[in-house]
Amino acid sequence: PAMAARLLLRAARPLLAGAGRGTGLGTGLGTGLGTGLSTGPPPEKKRWLRAYLELQRLQAPPQRRSEKPNWDYHAEIQAFSHRVQENFALDLLKTAFVNPCYIESEEARRRQLGLDKDAVALQLQDNTGLAERGLRFARSYLAQCFEGAYPELPAKGIEALVNFLTSQELVSYVAQNLAIQDLALCRDFPAPPDVLQRTFLAVIGALLESSGPERTGIFVRDFFIPQLIGKDLFEIWEVVNPMGLLLEELTKRNISAPEPRITRQLGVSTVLPVYFVGLYCDKKILAEGPGETLLAAEEEAARVALRKLYGYTENRRPWDYSKPKQELAAEKAVSSN
Amino acid sequence: RYVRQLQRLQLLFSPTAADARGARQFVEEAAQDFARQHPDVVLYVSPHSGPGPAPVLRAEYLNGTVREELIASKTSEEIVQLATKMANQSGLDIIRIRKPFHTDNPSVQGQWHPLTNKPSILTVQGPRLQPQ
Repeated sequence: PAMAARLLLRAARPLLAGAGRGTGLGTGLGTGLGTGLSTGPPPEKKRWLRAYLELQRLQAPPQRRSEKPNWDYHAEIQAFSHRVQENFALDLLKTAFVNPCYIESEEARRRQLGLDKDAVALQLQDNTGLAERGLRFARSYLAQCFEGAYPELPAKGIEALVNFLTSQELVSYVAQNLAIQDLALCRDFPAPPDVLQRTFLAVIGALLESSGPERTGIFVRDFFIPQLIGKDLFEIWEVVNPMGLLLEELTKRNISAPEPRITRQLGVSTVLPVYFVGLYCDKKILAEGPGETLLAAEEEAARVALRKLYGYTENRRPWDYSKPKQELAAEKAVSSN
Repeated sequence: RYVRQLQRLQLLFSPTAADARGARQFVEEAAQDFARQHPDVVLYVSPHSGPGPAPVLRAEYLNGTVREELIASKTSEEIVQLATKMANQSGLDIIRIRKPFHTDNPSVQGQWHPLTNKPSILTVQGPRLQPQ
């Protein structure tokens, strides 16, 4: 579509003198026509030249948005703060986008250009401090959220969920879709995922400094928790022995050990059998899970039972985004130090 | 929360061409109001002097899509409408939608599979007990 628009643009302005020349009929005719005319609009490029320039344009390496025309850093940062609907202290936000690799590359470049030692040292600060504070706050806030929402979930599960939400891929994906890769100052382009993660966490840290823990908590909730939609607990949390974990959970609740029984089976003598194994405690059904072999079915049934016990089933209540969670404010002020 | 997907609008026009009259009127009258109403969109106005390509409104979205719309021989109000339309769009490609329905919960009671209504192996069917 870009090419089509470009060709359309060229056709939208019928050039008076250049119409004959643009067909690439040869230089002889062109120069013949040119001498007799007054200076009109410049002649269109030749057909073969246009094709070559288009190829060059398509094969050029990707450039940062800040190096392309029409870029105003201050305006972009203001627009970013409005887009996210938060009030930032703009100088804190600008420090949040400065990465240490950028400072090193800028100092190296200035040294190469031969400036004095005073001019070489940049006045900019890093975003590492802000990033650390943002990461600590985000982890503690998310851990508190999950402890409140899934009280049965053990500490290892909560840790697995928080690690998943603050992992490089997820944070850099969220940062890409908020166009932080345009605003972040870093050495290489396109920005690697750890740089994007650090920048986004530094933005959270800057928000923490400017607006306080409550608004930052709502920000973290709005941007991180929707990434859990559609995800299953055991996709995020690797559990090697679900049966052992289930036995521990049941002993904590004083329920007897589960007894596995085959509930249904299909195609036993074929290549693809399906077994449904149900786990019964005191002759009452706990969970039922399918599998290809009996062992796989039993493991799956243990996982289904764990999901039911922890309250992380597919048909649980969706996350509550309404109330601003006042009771967490005091704990956050203590933990985010 | 709602994040507007339009990042920036670039208004490229020529100060002397005849078909960029609407664009020039838009810049003089309505551009400031538009920018005040949409503080999260950066509006760049770049007149290129002399005859050149046709006036165009280029929109860049958060997912990287760049859409160009010709504004040659359009009035100022039409350009305002076009700009608001682009501000409310997302950056997804404008292609034919295959089906006009989508649901995140395709089944409420559980999807049917061949073993749904079949009794399990465990149901023991013995002789009926006589009432005592």
